[in-house]
Amino acid sequence: MRRTYLGEFEEVVLLMVAILDGEAYGVTVSQALEEHTGRLVTFGTVHNTLIRLEEKGFVSSELGGATADRGGRRKRLFKVTALGSRALQDIQELRSHLWQLVPPNALKISGL
Amino acid sequence: MATETQKPNRRTAPRWARWLLIRLHPSETLEEVEGDLEELYAYWYRRAGKTQAVLRYLLSVVSVLPPFVRRRRQTGSDFQRSNVHPDMIRNYFRIALRHLVKNKVYSFINIGGLALGMACCLMIALYVYDELSYDRFNANYDHIYRLVEKQKQPEGIFDVAMTPGPLAGTIARDFPEVERVCRMGRWSGLLSHGNQAVESNQMQVVDPSFFEVFSYPLLLGSPNAVFRGPDEVILSEATAVRFFGANWRQQNILGKSFKLNNDQTLMLVGVAQNPPVQSHIEFEILMPFKWLERYDEWSMKWNSNSYHTYVQLKPDDSGAPVDPTAFADKVRSQLKRYDSGNETPLLLQPLSEIYLYSDFAFETDYGRRSDIAYIRIFVTVGLIVLLIAVINFINLATARASQRAKEVGVRKSVGAQRTSLITQFLGEATLMTVLSMLLSVLLAEALLPLFNNLAGKSLHIPYQLTAFWLTISGLTAVVSLLAGLYPAFFLSSFRPISVLKTGVVGHFSSIQTGRGFRQSLVVGQFVLSITLAISTVIIYRQLSFLQTAKLGFDQSQLLYVRLKGDMRGKAQQFKTGVEQLPGVAQASVATSNLVNMNNSTLIEWEGQAPKDEFLITQINVDADFIKTAGMSLAAGRNFSTQITSDTLSKRGAYMINETAAKRMGWTPARALGKRVKFWGTEGQIIGVLKDFHFRPLHVAIQPFILRFRPKEFYFNLLVKTKPGLVARTLAGVANEYKKMKTDYPLSYGFVDQDLDAQYQSEQRIGRIILCFAILTILVSCLGLFGLTAFTAEQRTKEIGIRKVLGASVASIVTLLSRDFLKLVVMALAIASPIAWYAMNRWLENFVYRTDIQWWIFALTGMLAVGIALLTVSFQSIKAALANPVKTLRSE
Repeated sequence: MRRTYLGEFEEVVLLMVAILDGEAYGVTVSQALEEHTGRLVTFGTVHNTLIRLEEKGFVSSELGGATADRGGRRKRLFKVTALGSRALQDIQELRSHLWQLVPPNALKISGL
Repeated sequence: MATETQKPNRRTAPRWARWLLIRLHPSETLEEVEGDLEELYAYWYRRAGKTQAVLRYLLSVVSVLPPFVRRRRQTGSDFQRSNVHPDMIRNYFRIALRHLVKNKVYSFINIGGLALGMACCLMIALYVYDELSYDRFNANYDHIYRLVEKQKQPEGIFDVAMTPGPLAGTIARDFPEVERVCRMGRWSGLLSHGNQAVESNQMQVVDPSFFEVFSYPLLLGSPNAVFRGPDEVILSEATAVRFFGANWRQQNILGKSFKLNNDQTLMLVGVAQNPPVQSHIEFEILMPFKWLERYDEWSMKWNSNSYHTYVQLKPDDSGAPVDPTAFADKVRSQLKRYDSGNETPLLLQPLSEIYLYSDFAFETDYGRRSDIAYIRIFVTVGLIVLLIAVINFINLATARASQRAKEVGVRKSVGAQRTSLITQFLGEATLMTVLSMLLSVLLAEALLPLFNNLAGKSLHIPYQLTAFWLTISGLTAVVSLLAGLYPAFFLSSFRPISVLKTGVVGHFSSIQTGRGFRQSLVVGQFVLSITLAISTVIIYRQLSFLQTAKLGFDQSQLLYVRLKGDMRGKAQQFKTGVEQLPGVAQASVATSNLVNMNNSTLIEWEGQAPKDEFLITQINVDADFIKTAGMSLAAGRNFSTQITSDTLSKRGAYMINETAAKRMGWTPARALGKRVKFWGTEGQIIGVLKDFHFRPLHVAIQPFILRFRPKEFYFNLLVKTKPGLVARTLAGVANEYKKMKTDYPLSYGFVDQDLDAQYQSEQRIGRIILCFAILTILVSCLGLFGLTAFTAEQRTKEIGIRKVLGASVASIVTLLSRDFLKLVVMALAIASPIAWYAMNRWLENFVYRTDIQWWIFALTGMLAVGIALLTVSFQSIKAALANPVKTLRSE
């Protein structure tokens, strides 16, 4: 089966969902993004990415309990699915494989 | 209670931003997003303060509004298939086609009616497009303007399209904005080469820049080299053919010499392509303005307006046309600088507007012209026809709702959403519209020769133009929406339970709701068509009034012969010859032929108050004029060759009309013997003529003066023939003309025909509107026919039962027809005042007009009711005659 393509931002968001481990929803993902990557993104971007990830089957979601500071509104909590963690691992493996192929001096020179 | 105390601490985002979110954010994710944003707002508030928080909140809200937001698809719902799935579309198509085939009559009425309406629209669109594209063939058309004066005259302010000759030169010198200028004047004369002669009144005298300003290509000769000298001439292709035959290109004709009016020699320097039909300038022969300057001293003077002046303005830096208003303001007071005391302002008329917007005084504008008012009338009529066809569609579609009700119920029960039903019905409407559009193009193609004949055009459908196809597609889309929207919403609103469970009773109530709407649409249709019909009758009455009105002179059997060149001096001799002919009752020479009398000037009179002045139209006649034209005297006597004071050239004897006498403050009897001064010649009024119409009946009768100058030139011979001898007399006149041994070919006409021709455009419009009026009634009746057929079908059982119980055929026909006739009568009541108002406005264009009489409304109304009755009764009689055994047998 062909692997579904995972965009760079999608990958970061998926990682955030993994990091937050069951506590991931719109607010926490936005805050984690800002905290860990320093990227300021609009809420809509995060929202759309989460929906897209779910459509691709990398995350699953369910409506969680309401809290008072949300005016009693439920949150949608996201979890990484098996497919999602496979995708993340694939990427990780591919990256390290590629890193090993880079000649030791190549990056030093370009780094200059 | 706890929430109450917490409330001051809970920071909430601006209410309007939240309102925006609630209104526009997709409902599937609204709850979570609203909560998330609230939480984030509180977080930002804590971190960065209120302003930052509000800003970021707003930004976030916008980012989750459509079109930015991604919709969450509902998961796990297999029945929620998209309604654009190929299977579904195939199904829609099949159902639509089945309905088309099943209801052949309705399909025919719908598609045929719509096609007819659209074909009308198409033809009118072609006509309007053609009219609007005049003069646009000129490469620089959007840079070219004609200079126009707003002249102040004793009677008011008049727009005059002619300007003084020296204006062009000074404008070009004084204003750097001007790229080129070109003067143009109309001339007429006899041009001859060898033994070939062409007499033309389409000679234009132009500056050499003519070929640079306008795009009239030279087939022979170079545009940069022509008209440098005064004695040059350029022929149009058609004139070149007349002189040298079709193979003029093979002959070396450049440099050949021509004679103008047998005395001046001109050299041929070029041949120009015939001016296109869509050109407001027409010419057969072109001559240089330099030639004119030599012979016409007025062309050099500031106080004579005899020529058109065109200016071509420089484009701005990007090559786009400059705004002419700024330039117009600058030239406004230009005349004052060269012609002291001349305060007449100058205006710029864009080239593309000359054809449609030229309503100038004193005949200063001539040639091919139309009127924007006609374009407006046509567009209105075209839209009316289309609207009526669209109404048919809506009516029949909603009337047929009962047939579709079960389908809608079943579709909804198995999960169709309202949007998918709307899509389906709109799609069906589009299908019908596309079919009718194809049919309408065929129809237009077939009807176009007829329409061209009617409108005096040579239109054809521009299949090769992308714009044409775009327009067609646009029209199809608009018509589909107009026709399909209401039925789609109406049909898709059925509640499945009521249409499926309670069956006939259930959906009958919903059909009833549509009835009022349908009836008002039928009324609307007939209001439109009856208004058009009444208007047509009134227009036709006015036209026949114009043609039969008593003009104050007798134009029947009145022949005129134009006198040119040397003939003008030999007028009396020619007249004497013609008088001897057996068929001639009376003959007279005059300067005008009673059709175009435009020569007007100021007059001075005895007892004139200072600053009281007016223009008076004049004609030179002989002593037989009054008798020949059949005019009658109100007071005084006719001119006489026996009375010496009449024939003196130093003093004048004048006759005026009643209007002129009144204008100068006299009764006809008191006017006799009064002294007036006219063109520097003082004279006495010897007679007063009863008023007669010397202009079209659009305008009121103006002051008029007749002069008796037997020693001066006459331009026309008027011949009153004896009844039944017209053809013989004409042959005799031609023979006499030949005896005069002139180079000018015989040119004659009949006064009554020429007078009729003045109303040509009105007649043309009348004919076109008549056609469209018939069409609208036809299309309306088509719709009515469909509706009656439908009702009759619906009530088949009812009619059967009524007949079994003893109802007569007549009573059943009445039952079925009454409802529809009521509508038509109602429409008549609404249409009459509308038509009355509109026609009153139109008739105001004519000073002399028919009155709108009540019988017109009664007649048109009876006609409309009659046609409607015929349409309706065809179906209702059929239904009433049906054998009840057959209709009641099956259940």
